[in-house]
Amino acid sequence: MSAGKVPIIVVVDRTAEEPVYEQIARQIRMGIAAGELPAGAPLPPVRVLASDLGCNPNTVARAYRLLENEGFVRIRDREGVQVAPPAAKADAEEMSRLLGALRALLARMRQAGAAPEELRAMIARELEVIHEAPVRSARRRV
Amino acid sequence: MEAGSAVTALVVFEVLVTGGMFLLYPLIVRKGLLFGVYVGESACESDAARRITRSWYAWMIGAIVLSLASGLAGLAALPLPVAALAPVVLQLTAFVALYLRAYRRARALAPAGTPPAAAPLTVVPAPGTVLPKAALLFGACLGLWVMGYAWLHYPDLPARVPTHFGPSGRPDAWKPKSLSTVMLLPLMTLSMGVGLSAFARLTARAKRAIRLRDQGASLEAQVRFRAAMTNFLSGVSMLATTMLALMAATSIQVGLGRRPGLPPGVMALAIVLLVYVLGGVGYLAFRYGQGGARLERARADTPLTDGLADNRKWILGMFYVDPEDPSILVERRFGIGYTINFGNWKAILLLAVFAGIILGICAAALLAR
Repeated sequence: MSAGKVPIIVVVDRTAEEPVYEQIARQIRMGIAAGELPAGAPLPPVRVLASDLGCNPNTVARAYRLLENEGFVRIRDREGVQVAPPAAKADAEEMSRLLGALRALLARMRQAGAAPEELRAMIARELEVIHEAPVRSARRRV
Repeated sequence: MEAGSAVTALVVFEVLVTGGMFLLYPLIVRKGLLFGVYVGESACESDAARRITRSWYAWMIGAIVLSLASGLAGLAALPLPVAALAPVVLQLTAFVALYLRAYRRARALAPAGTPPAAAPLTVVPAPGTVLPKAALLFGACLGLWVMGYAWLHYPDLPARVPTHFGPSGRPDAWKPKSLSTVMLLPLMTLSMGVGLSAFARLTARAKRAIRLRDQGASLEAQVRFRAAMTNFLSGVSMLATTMLALMAATSIQVGLGRRPGLPPGVMALAIVLLVYVLGGVGYLAFRYGQGGARLERARADTPLTDGLADNRKWILGMFYVDPEDPSILVERRFGIGYTINFGNWKAILLLAVFAGIILGICAAALLAR
């Protein structure tokens, strides 16, 4: 470990309702979105992460496959698992599908009691977290 | 030195070394652990925890004094091997009994609930993998060479071959030639060379138990400790293999009549190995602490994660059992170094193979006597 560098830690709670592979995938996703895991950054091999977390290697492999399907990581035989750069151009079909998911989520939040102003503020805050960092680091590396 | 005073010195040495090691274990453990129980970083500094530790020191000092006294008294009354072993057996028994007592008391301080599991996503290259690879190659080559040397010279050996050497290096016991008597030492050389270096390689990949919210201090401590332990075990493997290979090759030369006895280098190597092992364990314990405990600056708000903190995965605080965990080696909770995951069939298989080889060699040695 390079001196002075704070490692990014993934934490798993086995008593939580959320499946372990989802917990792993969610935290990696957030790390990438926040720029803590820049494009090209290697992720630990399945066996190492499974050993450190004390979980079945299939659970970690499932999390990595999910992230690969979502475009967050690349899995190569020789290079292992690496954080993928953001797509250079938005795919219209994918954007339409994600927009549908966002609409459903916003509807649920509205139904849960969030006022439109609160929703706007929340979205602005989240955008601030994920907006610049990953794009900048990806451009630097790609 | 007379034989009597040499045995007395040996008894005093073994009692003080083993007893001193047991006595000082509480000083080197990861913070939060108390006699094999995870009690939490705050509770391990409570008055109740201090009372358990003070009681351990008092009883262990008593056990050392008793072992020493009975060992010295036994020298006059018992035959030599029994007199030399009895104090160590007594001390081991006392250690197990006192540990179980302290463990039972510490259980009362254990917190309820399941601790979270955590792992670094930052890739840290596995340290210390060059030396164990070199040790494995060295052990395999030297072991195979000695096996080949013994095999090639087997037809030229006389009907009776030396099976034991006295303190002067001269043979003091001879037996009829057989494959088991001639191949025993070469086989031991190969097994130790490969087995110890394989263990060193596994140590470099052992499970890492880290702390939350400590800015990576525990991870760095783990990485450094594992590297030091791996290199230490590789050194033990190479020294032990060299000593055994030298013994194996020269005992064949003695059998062939080319040498009067073992060269003085064998005894010198044995002393170097002993000093290296004792000095190395002492250095690792007090420079790094168990699992890097002395480097990690643990605080009450930096709890250990589930590999070490989940009491349900540890039987008697000594045996880690988690079938879900793919780790083969995990850090010990009490003592120094690593233990196997008894819930992993690969770890059990490795243990069975290694124990089988050791027992086989011991059985062959007994048959050869």
